[in-house]
Amino acid sequence: MRIEARNLGWREIVRGVSVEIRKGETFGLVGPNGSGKSTLLRLLAGLMPRAAGEVWLDGAPLAQLSRRQIAQRLALVEQFADTGEALSVRDAVDLGRTPWLSPLSPFGPEDRQIVDRALAAVGMEGMAARAWATLSGGERQRVHIARALAQEPRVLILDEPTNHLDIHHQLALLGLVAALPVTVVMALHDLNQAMMCDRLGVMSDGRMVACGKPAEVLTPDNLARIFRVRAQPMIDPSDGSTLFRFLPMETST
Amino acid sequence: MPNLPLIPRRGLRAALIAAPLVAAMPALAQTSYPLHLSNCGVDLTFEAAPQSVVSVGQAATEILYALDLGDRVLGTSVWFSSVLPQFEAVNAGVPRLADNDPSFESVVALRPGLVAVQYEWHIGPQGIVATREQFADLGIPTYTLPSDCVGKDNSTGSDGTRLDMYTMDSLYQGVEELAQIFDVPERGTAMVAALREREAAAIATAGALALDDASAVFWFSSAEMDIDPYVAGQGGAPAYMMQALGLRNVVESNEEWPVVAWETIARANPSVIVLARMDRRRFEADDIERKLEFLRTDPVVSQMEAVREGRIVILDAHGMDPSIRNIDALETLSAALAGFDLQ
Amino acid sequence: MTRRAALSALAVPVLSRAGLGAVLLALAVLAGVTIGEVALPLGLVGDLLAVKLLGIERALDPIEAGILWSYRLPRTLVAAACGAGLALSGVVLQALVRNALADPYLLGVSAGAGAGAVAVTLLGLGGGAIGLSAGAFGGAASAFLIVALLAKAAGGGPAQLVLAGIAGSQLFNALTSFFIAKSANAEQARGLMFWLLGNLSGVRWPDVSLALPVVGLGFLVCLAHVRPLDAFSFGSGAAASLGIAVRRVQLVLIAAVTLMTATLVSLVGSIGFVGLVIPHAMRFLVGPRHARLIPASALAGAVFLIAADIAARVLIPGQVVPIGVVTALVGAPGFALILIRNRRRS
Ligand SMILES: Nc1ncnc2c1ncn2[C@@H]1O[C@H](COP(=O)(O)OP(=O)(O)OP(=O)(O)O)[C@@H](O)[C@H]1O
Ligand SMILES: [Mg+2]
Repeated sequence: MRIEARNLGWREIVRGVSVEIRKGETFGLVGPNGSGKSTLLRLLAGLMPRAAGEVWLDGAPLAQLSRRQIAQRLALVEQFADTGEALSVRDAVDLGRTPWLSPLSPFGPEDRQIVDRALAAVGMEGMAARAWATLSGGERQRVHIARALAQEPRVLILDEPTNHLDIHHQLALLGLVAALPVTVVMALHDLNQAMMCDRLGVMSDGRMVACGKPAEVLTPDNLARIFRVRAQPMIDPSDGSTLFRFLPMETST
Repeated sequence: MPNLPLIPRRGLRAALIAAPLVAAMPALAQTSYPLHLSNCGVDLTFEAAPQSVVSVGQAATEILYALDLGDRVLGTSVWFSSVLPQFEAVNAGVPRLADNDPSFESVVALRPGLVAVQYEWHIGPQGIVATREQFADLGIPTYTLPSDCVGKDNSTGSDGTRLDMYTMDSLYQGVEELAQIFDVPERGTAMVAALREREAAAIATAGALALDDASAVFWFSSAEMDIDPYVAGQGGAPAYMMQALGLRNVVESNEEWPVVAWETIARANPSVIVLARMDRRRFEADDIERKLEFLRTDPVVSQMEAVREGRIVILDAHGMDPSIRNIDALETLSAALAGFDLQ
Repeated sequence: MTRRAALSALAVPVLSRAGLGAVLLALAVLAGVTIGEVALPLGLVGDLLAVKLLGIERALDPIEAGILWSYRLPRTLVAAACGAGLALSGVVLQALVRNALADPYLLGVSAGAGAGAVAVTLLGLGGGAIGLSAGAFGGAASAFLIVALLAKAAGGGPAQLVLAGIAGSQLFNALTSFFIAKSANAEQARGLMFWLLGNLSGVRWPDVSLALPVVGLGFLVCLAHVRPLDAFSFGSGAAASLGIAVRRVQLVLIAAVTLMTATLVSLVGSIGFVGLVIPHAMRFLVGPRHARLIPASALAGAVFLIAADIAARVLIPGQVVPIGVVTALVGAPGFALILIRNRRRS
């Protein structure tokens, strides 16, 4: 599914963001803390009240879709989402089916299979009966992603999905996401992981200051200006990919 | 009278001990001061008749008026219904401090020589106006009508609980003691004698009916029209009236005005229903017309014998509280019974 | 398997559970009409049913039959409606504001009802044309309106609603105390307190025809929203991204809750603890999913309040204890037990 944002804005926090994300693309958002990444993701999901600008999904304006129609197309995993309810892992993932259910089509065996597959995709199939409160941070993050997968969206919006995950699960998740036939938009902090995206948008102070292929965007110059770090690009001889080594800015500059 | 000559011989101490006894002697034309009284657990001493009084409670107010002491009343409070017609003129000249509870300060500000109290829940151990000590601390004596404390425990039940059946004697005692305090004992004696005579006549009228198994319920009011009503319990003024006239009270609670379910009352099926008529319009059921309508229309209550036979008596609500109006109520009820076919 | 087949496969256990619930409720109602202050012959229920439902002629004592049919049956039905309505309101509010302490009176409805009732009886508001119940309903509705406006002005989140509810309740409780202090004597205040603690003794058939439809409607609204309610588990943002029209759902559900509680409070006074304890007890028994929690809480609330009403009638012979006292007496220890057992489990 193709996403077009035109002149998106919310108060002073996100200003004039226009971007087109292609069908099936994995699009990364990077930027310092407070630069507006989460806000922009929520804007793309149509969740900010009184937003400026427009979002179009496959040529249809988001504003004209009902919440249910949006949720059938687009799933969002937010940075912080917790519950006090004594839900089990399966209960939480079942919630992903919500936009597809109605009194006339209640939760059925097909939905159960979809939930099973989503659990398996994040490696949580063995913990389906565990209570939410007993899960570790990384396990919770994976359940959230399973819930988003169970929603069977055509656009997956993830806010720092690798947060809390161990290195194995970080790589597994990014591999999973890249392999999905859906459009993915995600905010990331690890710039080496960001290098795996098809394209990147760089947020700074509410504006998208750069957008393009990772190698074009994450130039040492940009990194110094936006992230205030000195980045040393290095080539991995095994596959020729670029890695960064980060160093503090020199005090003299 | 025979006690009087003994006083000089036994000396002053003995005289003090004997004082209440002496005070209770009805035939004295003059009170001998200092007057000692034991009043609802408080010992009172009067060196002279108080020059002024504030009344807290309509029953106390009307006793003072009946004793022709209206000119000493500085203010009245706690009114349940309009004043008796014979006291309208005198009452018109007396300021009304409050329709309901007066504030402590408004009473004190009048600097009364006495505060005459009908109910302990206004002025008493848990009094909402003040305790008696608070008045005593300011040198203001309080007199509580014995009808609210003799044989009554005011610490339990919402309106207190009668340990012994109320009788007119406690009220007569209040009349006579107030007369003594104000140095008009002969007025008290005469008033009580007249009341006793009317009481006996009313009882005789009912006695002539030779009631065998007649019963009654007194319905005061209800917080909501259909809700369980406030009815007279065992031991209060209505219970006394029923007993005196040969009626059995179908309500068994010892509280003064307990809440009892209509199903219990209907099942007990009393032969007579007595309704309270009042000026108060706080609850819908305060209105006598609404009470009568309920009796006619409620699917269960309308089936009761008393309703079907029309054996309904309407009494002044204040006549159901201990007061000189009890005698009016007793007369009305007795006359009504004579008109019913209760055999 | 198609969805339709899945539906019928699910229908069997659902139907049998619904059947079990109906039997439980019927037994509770039977107990409610047979146990009371006055002992009635046991055969009377059967005889009465024969007369009322089958039209068979039987000679019945009019007073006994009347007590059963005109007093106890409506009273028991309203108790059931009231218990179900309060429990449902508790479930819904706890889900919407994501606070385990939310109860039906959170929105200031009960405080408003109290103030309304007192205003009518003590201040003579409405000049006698408005009864206690109408005053209570008016008070409940205006309190809710104030709370809702305040919550909206404060940002409109669940925390703001809780805080606005507390502020509104305090305001209306203070008004009640003020009215009482200003113009009541002790006897009047007592009548009101009795009413405020909950009293079912004045319930008649017209009240049934108000309470049952309102609670029935509320139940259907809740049933239709079991999935949205589940979706609120991770907050309203998560609910929105799951396709829930958050504003509309909140509006519809809060309207249903307000209508139910305001109606019930105006009919029988504010009965505490049911709306708090029953939902938690049922979460413990059937889990947090609303598809089960909603019907289970409605049923348990209904049965619990019928039982509490029976206890209120027979606890002190010849006298009635306010039902709110009974629910709190049973509810508080019951709640403590749930808390302790819950901790052991997790
Ligand atoms: N509801 C709000 N009201 C006011 N300010 C807000 C609100 N939400 C976010 N902000 C502010 O907007 C800025 C951008 O927030 P946002 O959460 O989008 O940043 P982010 O890029 O996701 O940061 P992080 O990397 O820390 O997650 C921050 O300064 C934040 O404090
Ligand atoms: Mg963020």
